[in-house]
Amino acid sequence: MVELLEDYLFTIVFVSMFINLGLSLFGLFYKPHYTKKLIMLGILGDTLNVFAVFVGYRAWPSPSTPSRPPILLTYPFENTSVLVEFTSRAVDPLPQALVLTAVVIGLAVMVFLIFLGDNLYKHYGTLDMREIKRLRG
Amino acid sequence: MGLDLLVYGLGALASLLSVIAVYLALEERDLVKAVIYSAVQSVFYSLLFYLFMAPDIVLVYLPVAGGVLPALLLVLISKTERFERE
Amino acid sequence: MRTLVKLVVITSVVMGLSLLLVLAGVSFYPSSRVRWLALAYLNTTYNPYLPNFTVWSPESVTAIVWDYRGLDTLYETTVFFLAIISGLALGRGVKRLNLKPGGDMGLSLIVKTVTRITGPMILAVAASIGLHGHLTPGGGFQGGATAAVVPVLYIVIFSVFYLSWKGVSTGRMLTMRSIGLIGIGATSIAVFTAGLLEGAPAYVFQNIAKATSPVSMPYYIHGALTSGTLWWFNLFEFLAVSAGFALAFIILMTPEADKNG
Repeated sequence: MVELLEDYLFTIVFVSMFINLGLSLFGLFYKPHYTKKLIMLGILGDTLNVFAVFVGYRAWPSPSTPSRPPILLTYPFENTSVLVEFTSRAVDPLPQALVLTAVVIGLAVMVFLIFLGDNLYKHYGTLDMREIKRLRG
Repeated sequence: MGLDLLVYGLGALASLLSVIAVYLALEERDLVKAVIYSAVQSVFYSLLFYLFMAPDIVLVYLPVAGGVLPALLLVLISKTERFERE
Repeated sequence: MRTLVKLVVITSVVMGLSLLLVLAGVSFYPSSRVRWLALAYLNTTYNPYLPNFTVWSPESVTAIVWDYRGLDTLYETTVFFLAIISGLALGRGVKRLNLKPGGDMGLSLIVKTVTRITGPMILAVAASIGLHGHLTPGGGFQGGATAAVVPVLYIVIFSVFYLSWKGVSTGRMLTMRSIGLIGIGATSIAVFTAGLLEGAPAYVFQNIAKATSPVSMPYYIHGALTSGTLWWFNLFEFLAVSAGFALAFIILMTPEADKNG
């Protein structure tokens, strides 16, 4: 019964991330204003990063000992039992490193698009993409 | 029994509230309010990252998606249009 | 009222769909073992018993970012640099105003006094996050992004001309950013150059001595743990990121000089 409840709560997180993905893709395609598209692009990138962290997560070894972040806290140690306990409880560190790079690159793309939006407004006088498509230079 | 149900329950609550925030950001016509809703969604995502044992990503995510990006978007809105048309 | 109904519908769709998935037995629950590669990273991140394989840093995410996969981080820094340069290029050729900061620009006196107190505190916290990146969660990019909040505060509360009057101008931020990037480049070939001068084989982006090359960066300096090149990378990345953000904000927020005034 308790495993069913844990399973249910974890699946709620998983399904709601898929719903977020669908909503942000819908907003990216069907809303005609440039700034709304930028907001939805940011949400899309962040949801994909949550999926990447899910892949690296590790279930708790027992209901009273939680799994821990991959950071060693007692560093000059004498015997290797500290290290054995660390590797039996720690979460996978590689997806977190990849997500760090992905966040920086998403931020760089958004900064460039914001500067571009400023320039678009100076040229066309509006930021509605249907108007820009009609005017076309 | 208590601790892991608490952690997963908090994660489920944070993700449900983030779905609500994304839907409100999608349907809002006033762009300033839409940016504020997306910043609220970023705070809930940071809580989710913390509950999944990734503290490095929390420290990147809070200033970037909750501070710098909404500030830049608000500057862009103040230089261009604020309301979305039909 | 209609929005409330739509929100209740979406929430119940999420909860009902996950209940269906759990009862059908096809839900996704994480396993309690990790992959072999993760075990290799976790075992060798601080291991005095394997002195040819370890990184001497108890923080394995920073060790992966700057030592095991350091080349990826170098390219990510290049992408960020390109974004800032493109922002500079798009804002070129526009005449900008250059006024003197008056006494009545910005917000009220209470807000200004509070910002004068909390601004240096934010900078201190950001420097601590950035420079302790090899011991606790944090690192160069985290500290730089936190320190980028301070120029935004000062531009909104005082005015953007106050910043250039205090000396934070576009040219100086570009210089600081260039110093950070040159520092990252120099640290990445430091051990390689030391190996060339001594006649021992060494690699680019090398941190600690490996089985095939005896050259290494010092990892304990006077009893304090600095994990070789990781501390230097964190310092230069902190400088580069905070200066790049300050540059982008100054360019975006300076008002332009109209032709009609």
